[in-house]
Amino acid sequence: MSVSAMLLVFIKTILVVSVFLIHVMYVQYFERKVIGHMQSRMGPMRVGWHGLLQPIADSIKLFFKEDIIPSAADRPIFYIAPIIGVIAGVSSVAVIPLWENFSIANLNVGILYILALSSIASYSVILGGWASNSKYSFLGGLRSSAQVISYEIAMGLSLVGVMMMAGSANLNDIVKAQANGWFIVPQIIAFVVFFISALAETNRVPFDLPEAETELVSGFATEYSGMRWALFFMAEYAGMFVMSGLAATCFLGGWSGPQIPFMGTMSGLIWFLMKLYMFIFIYFWIRATLPRYRYDQLMGLGWKIFIPLALLNIVITGLVKIL
Amino acid sequence: MSVVELVKKVLFMEVLQGLALTFRHMVSPSVTRQYPLEKREPFPGSRGLHALVRDAETGKERCVGCGLCAAMCPSQCIHIYTSEGDDHKKIVDRYEIEVLRCVYCALCVEACPYAALTLTDHFEYCGYTRDEFYYTKERLLENWDKYMAGEKGMNYIKNFWRPRSSDFAAPSPERKGP
Repeated sequence: MSVSAMLLVFIKTILVVSVFLIHVMYVQYFERKVIGHMQSRMGPMRVGWHGLLQPIADSIKLFFKEDIIPSAADRPIFYIAPIIGVIAGVSSVAVIPLWENFSIANLNVGILYILALSSIASYSVILGGWASNSKYSFLGGLRSSAQVISYEIAMGLSLVGVMMMAGSANLNDIVKAQANGWFIVPQIIAFVVFFISALAETNRVPFDLPEAETELVSGFATEYSGMRWALFFMAEYAGMFVMSGLAATCFLGGWSGPQIPFMGTMSGLIWFLMKLYMFIFIYFWIRATLPRYRYDQLMGLGWKIFIPLALLNIVITGLVKIL
Repeated sequence: MSVVELVKKVLFMEVLQGLALTFRHMVSPSVTRQYPLEKREPFPGSRGLHALVRDAETGKERCVGCGLCAAMCPSQCIHIYTSEGDDHKKIVDRYEIEVLRCVYCALCVEACPYAALTLTDHFEYCGYTRDEFYYTKERLLENWDKYMAGEKGMNYIKNFWRPRSSDFAAPSPERKGP
């Protein structure tokens, strides 16, 4: 790779990562507003016009908060656990095509890369829960490990159908393969399995067992404070973005959509963001609606329903493809 | 499980019902009142900060220092100190209320035979020290001037506290002893 090409990739990376982090920051404002209005409240209103500067105020507060480390904690692991999550979350964005032919890395195994990184992200939760040396954190970490293992299988299998239809694991190719119709129609089973598994994978309600405020104080993040805690939540929201982006790319045709006048290639980005934010809205909508699953229900749903469904979907897709 | 139940389960009907409910709430207006910006008028007769009634004729307190309010007070936060003046008349030297201990039961107001004490509808008071909430006689009279000025105060007493002053004679400067 020549120097100029490397420089281009570097500039692209910095741009995308910084824009992505701003999105991650402001999606929390979006979440608080959506959930607030769903509960007949207003959400943040006091910092700036309709609370628009709230995320900035929150980040300043979190940045200057005291960094408390329990005396019994396993320090090196305690330090790196939140960082693993953020790195895994942010680097997943590299392979998601934002508009036509634009992704930082046009990887042939894009889907596998994202699945791998989302598994690594779960390590941050497990290690954080382990290293805190507190029973709530420990239980949260254990729950996370069991939950992620069972739902990762269903999620990976549900995407196999998409890969079979597109004939590629490259996300750009998957978008192009959807020119004649989005995969959500033929792959509706896979979509449902994928979306619900993604909820579990990112530890969102109704599968937020690792955090479970009502039972485990704050689960894996109980002993974390200040910036380290914020990193955990950045990782969670980054994971949400990645999963929504993957859902939009694999099932809703990614950046494809009618040309928006005067926008040029940016119209692809606008379509992609609209689809992505629709999924993010559904995440918040579900959070405002559903209660948390019990642990055995979560396991039963994953192993007894979603994995067989995803396998069935693969069989059906294969049969249709042969015939 | 019947077929209908199975179809409902597969289509997530119950979850969708819940989602529809939350969505309806999202598009309906929120019930929040933006407190410091939008203040609601207190309901008439609400029990807030205390005030000693300033008599319109004499310009002084109507309190005669009988001590019924202090005797009645369940949290014992009213302190009255009296002395004997000329003519064997009882003089109220100090009349003090520890507002932080008050439970706003308004038994003191009901006990008062002369309608000399009331709770105002002023409820937003705050401070940095406990001393700020130790109300002396002068400050209690000031409260009357501030929050119950004009017709409002006597109307408040007549409408919301049973007007003991109409059962008994109102104290006048010419009264003969307690």
